[in-house]
Amino acid sequence: MSPEIFFQIIVNGLFTGGIYALVAIGLTLIYGVLVIVNFAHGEFLMLGIYVAFLGYSLFGVDPYLIIPIAFVLIFGLGALIQRGLVQRVLDAHPLNQIILLVGVGMLLVGLVQFFFSAEPKAIHVPYETAVISAFGLRFAIARLVAFFASMAISFFLYLFLHYTRTGKAIRAVSQSRDAARLMGINVTFIYYLTFGIGAAITAVAGALLAPNHRMIPTMGQSYSVIAFVVVVLGTMGNFIGAFLGGLIIGVVEAFAGFYLGGDVKIIASMLIFILILLFRPAGLFGRKRA
Amino acid sequence: MTAENSKNPSNGPVRNWFRGVLLDWDRTQMLICFLLVGLLALAPLFIHSTYYLGILILAAIYAFIGISWNIVAGFTGQLLIAQIIFLGIGAYTTIVLFNYYLVSPWVGLLIAGLVAGLFGIVVALITLRYGLKVDYFALFTIALMVALRTLFLKWKFVGGAVGMWFRLTEPSFDKMIFADKEPYLYIALGLVVIGLLVQYRIYRSKMGKYFLAIREDEDAAAALGVNTSLYKTLAVVIGAAMAGVGGGFYVMYVTFIEPPQVFNLGLNVEIVMAGPIIGGLGSLAGPLVGALLNKPFAEIMRGALTEGRSGSSLIVYGAFLVLTIMFMPRGVTGVLHTIYCWIIRRFTSEEPGEDQNGAA
Repeated sequence: MSPEIFFQIIVNGLFTGGIYALVAIGLTLIYGVLVIVNFAHGEFLMLGIYVAFLGYSLFGVDPYLIIPIAFVLIFGLGALIQRGLVQRVLDAHPLNQIILLVGVGMLLVGLVQFFFSAEPKAIHVPYETAVISAFGLRFAIARLVAFFASMAISFFLYLFLHYTRTGKAIRAVSQSRDAARLMGINVTFIYYLTFGIGAAITAVAGALLAPNHRMIPTMGQSYSVIAFVVVVLGTMGNFIGAFLGGLIIGVVEAFAGFYLGGDVKIIASMLIFILILLFRPAGLFGRKRA
Repeated sequence: MTAENSKNPSNGPVRNWFRGVLLDWDRTQMLICFLLVGLLALAPLFIHSTYYLGILILAAIYAFIGISWNIVAGFTGQLLIAQIIFLGIGAYTTIVLFNYYLVSPWVGLLIAGLVAGLFGIVVALITLRYGLKVDYFALFTIALMVALRTLFLKWKFVGGAVGMWFRLTEPSFDKMIFADKEPYLYIALGLVVIGLLVQYRIYRSKMGKYFLAIREDEDAAAALGVNTSLYKTLAVVIGAAMAGVGGGFYVMYVTFIEPPQVFNLGLNVEIVMAGPIIGGLGSLAGPLVGALLNKPFAEIMRGALTEGRSGSSLIVYGAFLVLTIMFMPRGVTGVLHTIYCWIIRRFTSEEPGEDQNGAA
């Protein structure tokens, strides 16, 4: 393998991994605070990309300009789902929580399929296939933008969680629900906020994919699976772990895709999953015992 | 009881037995189940439309597969979400054995159960060690389902993306191919009866008590000396093997299989999860009662609400799950149990038996 190809694969992997990181951060944030695995997680990415499609096909707006709208819309939806549904099963058996979220995911896919049909859709923008060449490598503009945008969003979210009062409150709740409540934090409100943010940044990841990615209503599931692998790799509930895990899985998938062919790369993620469960169940950033 | 008997000669042994059954909620549930199976067995006398018979057959298959999931998820509380992987493996085993090696499906179903059970052991060994987070199991099964879909799509031997048709020949008993629907119905009902009996035996056995203990509090069960890893594995293997047999018969009946159709969360919810959840997860009658409501109701809703537009079955099943968890977490059997308690208190001096149901 020539060095150009080697670095090209790494670049491609990082570009995909940026999106994975964003999706996984959403999942790990929700898990860290609510101790619930959001089985409908990939569906929020799917909603994000369809919001971009809707804005594009109805008003001809560039998908990047719709990102703030997608954020607000899906934030509202996420907070609503938390308030109306998830909040009521927080103390139930984990099985009930999972069943509920699987049901929510099916409803979301079903509704999108109902209104947009199961046919693949795509957005055509002028810069769809534009490419920059530098250092002997090729960078597709849309994917370059998606990568740096997801890096920036992760960075700002990190700052938000660490340096604002609300962010600190979110982290406090994730460390101890009861202690946070005793300190006067409105835990229920933090739950709405967290589910909303987790869903919304995942939707943003979807909208970032929009310019050069075909969409079908069932696309969320494979992103859910990748996000599961990433958060298990990077330790569930760990922000940095999800971020780095996303990039790692992106690069691993890119190499697997190069050697095995594009469709089979999920097998590589699966192998990583099995290896983590066998040898390091606490993930890369966890203490020894899960 | 014997003293009472001698005092009151009108209490014959049959009546006493019946009284014993009705005062025991578990045995009452079994009675309800066998009454329902009996009704289904009589159905061909009244229903001649092959469409409706087909729905009943599917409902019976769903009931059997629902029982298999009920043992893992309902009794043991394990988060085996994508049970359909075992169903798919059983289905592929049966169809490959028949198409390529001319193995009779009667034998094929047993081998399917065996293969699925072995696969269950592998999955359990990876994910069910004591001390692993419970969520990992759920995550792993869903990821495995997606990986298997990709693998089977690429695997030319089992038809790849094209899928596989059952090689239908002229009807014959030892090939399990029949011209009419009735034989399929009776085989499916036979499976349901076996499933109900297996489920009841497990429930009443020591192993069943361990299962329930693990569901209620795994750490406490381990502290009391239950080998939780072993019993969780056993639950998964039993469930997987039954699902494999059920999957084999399912593919015998629908005669076609393809990876995206079978390794699919939507079908997983329809076949495996919806029945026990609606009926009451962890109860003895739940899977059968739920399956009988699930399939026919979904068919009616799909037709009435949306004229069969794309996505409607996802909406119906998604709503099923959400509404049941929100408003009726113990399912139909939970409601029946409340009524049962009221009747027992009203008409007898006995206290109704405790309900062991429900992960809820």
